[in-house]
Amino acid sequence: MNNTADLDISIGSDALSLTLRGALNLQSVPGILDRLALVPRPLPKRIRADLGGVTRMDDCGALVIMELRRMAEASGGKLEMERTPDHVRELLDFLRLDSPPEPGPIRRARPDILTRFGEKTMHVVDQAASHVSFVGETTTTLASLLVRPGRLRLGDTISYMQRVGVDALPIVGLISFLLGLIMAFMSAVQLQQFGANIYVASLVALAMVRELGPIMTAIIVAGRSGSAFAAEIGTMKVSEEVDALITMGFKPAMFLVAPKVIASVLVVPLLTVFSNLFAIAGGLVIGVGTLNLTLNAYMAQTMSTLSIFDINWGIFKSAVFALLISTVGCFKGYRVRGGAASVGQATTSAVVTSIFLVILTDSVLAVILRYWRP
Amino acid sequence: MSAPVITVRGLTMGFGDHVVMRDLNFDIHAGEVFVILGGSGCGKSTLLKHMVGLYKPMAGRITVAGMDMDPDDDGAYRRILARIGVMFQGGALFSSMNLGENVALPITEYSGLRGRAVDDLVRLKLRQVGLEGFEHHLPEELSGGMRKRAAIARALALNPEILFLDEPSAGLDPISSAGLDALILRLNRTLGTTFVVVTHELSSILTIASRVVMLDAASKSIIAEGDPHELRDRSAHPFVRQFFNRQPGMEG
Ligand SMILES: Nc1ncnc2c1ncn2[C@@H]1O[C@H](COP(=O)(O)OP(=O)(O)O)[C@@H](O)[C@H]1O
Ligand SMILES: [Mg+2]
Repeated sequence: MNNTADLDISIGSDALSLTLRGALNLQSVPGILDRLALVPRPLPKRIRADLGGVTRMDDCGALVIMELRRMAEASGGKLEMERTPDHVRELLDFLRLDSPPEPGPIRRARPDILTRFGEKTMHVVDQAASHVSFVGETTTTLASLLVRPGRLRLGDTISYMQRVGVDALPIVGLISFLLGLIMAFMSAVQLQQFGANIYVASLVALAMVRELGPIMTAIIVAGRSGSAFAAEIGTMKVSEEVDALITMGFKPAMFLVAPKVIASVLVVPLLTVFSNLFAIAGGLVIGVGTLNLTLNAYMAQTMSTLSIFDINWGIFKSAVFALLISTVGCFKGYRVRGGAASVGQATTSAVVTSIFLVILTDSVLAVILRYWRP
Repeated sequence: MSAPVITVRGLTMGFGDHVVMRDLNFDIHAGEVFVILGGSGCGKSTLLKHMVGLYKPMAGRITVAGMDMDPDDDGAYRRILARIGVMFQGGALFSSMNLGENVALPITEYSGLRGRAVDDLVRLKLRQVGLEGFEHHLPEELSGGMRKRAAIARALALNPEILFLDEPSAGLDPISSAGLDALILRLNRTLGTTFVVVTHELSSILTIASRVVMLDAASKSIIAEGDPHELRDRSAHPFVRQFFNRQPGMEG
């Protein structure tokens, strides 16, 4: 197949004459358009194109005709096509080139900063409003479950308990163990100077049980499960699965949200306890291994440091965090519109928002605790 | 008839242990409009995906444009891809791009066209599938049939030698569907484009197809091959007769 085309250009005083030959297609047209762009302006009024030698032409070749027409119109004239072969005439008719398509870029223009700022603000307001209604619906659903627990989808809930809790055990264990190790190691350097080695046990236990255990676990759960909830519900939105649920009479809050929230609230506190144990074990390794503490002394110190209240408080906090992470994940997924990119944004936003809310809530709870039990 | 552009030899395809079709053999010649028929779930889309190198055969080989279809051979696979266009059953438009950007993507990536010429060409493509004026719409803002037509425009973007269309007219109204048939025939006659089309539309098959094969899930093989008019008038196979002689109103 011959894919080449020729263009002869001769510029007279009153007319620009062009002769096109060969195949006008995707291979040859870019070069021809480049050459047309180089014709010196201003152009003469008349533009004559001899198409007698055009052997083949596809819709891409029509771009050349469109460009020639534009050139002619720019100089106030009209394109004169000569010796137009039948196949070219037929193509131009088929493409209805007499009314050329609207000009203008097809890419979406990026709005200017002010517009974007305005849109963002409206988005935040809009989001806050829909968050309230989402939380409302979730709350009434959970409340209705207190009255009629049989409506909970038990199989789903158990499967989410496994995914949120059991499947996270290895990574939570590993990270917490290393965290305990590091805390003990870093504090030992300081405490050794005062001969206060034994307080390494107190520091690790208290810091983990009161603060770091719940927070670390929450961050891991947000990354593993909050994001998964958002992606799962988001994809279901995109593929109209949520619409299908609604028209079949299922309430998304009951069908999709409740199992995830309930599973998380049940299982994340357990994960936190597990995290605390592993961190204490990490501290123990350093205490016994490098600080000459005995196993008994370390454990006794740990037990005497921790009050029942501390332990309960940490567990309560992690239940609150679990509630936050799971509702935010579901909410972000539920707000997905459009396609794959939107699912990605929802996933990111679920993780970022829930980590932020976890830290914020933790601070608020710390202040409350300060005044409640000075 | 000219040399085959696609040859399928002893093709057995399936997933895991599940064999979908066994020992398929056929050729597709340059300039043909080759139609693949068969009940839903019999393996038409799977066959198409084998022909474009997305799935690996369990046995047998496929050549496209004289080259062995082997996605592991990067150079050869790219040379094949440069000559084919594919429209998937679900459309597979990129949801983060508007229609115009979807069609423009292959053009800006693989042609020398720049700037305004790309925009003009995109509009001409959309005009040919009846979607002019929708270039700024996102896929989610369109009906299923419109998405399908946009996907066809994207598959046509580079005027490839071979076009694979998976159920292009499913979900289209009769007028769009007839327009699509006209477009296929036009490209076939003027540019010599070879078409491999999966479709159930009887009127469309009789209009466009130069040859059809009919797959059958029960026997996992081809039960009929040839000119659609001849099959309609002369085939002895009960399925084939049933397909071509169904009552109007049962199409679809
Ligand atoms: N990715 C896949 N994994 C496993 N089985 C598949 C996959 N895709 C399709 N199948 C099976 O292959 C068979 C043919 O499917 P398909 O080619 O989509 O049918 P159709 O003829 O309707 O296009 C079906 O039985 C389907 O279940
Ligand atoms: Mg299919």
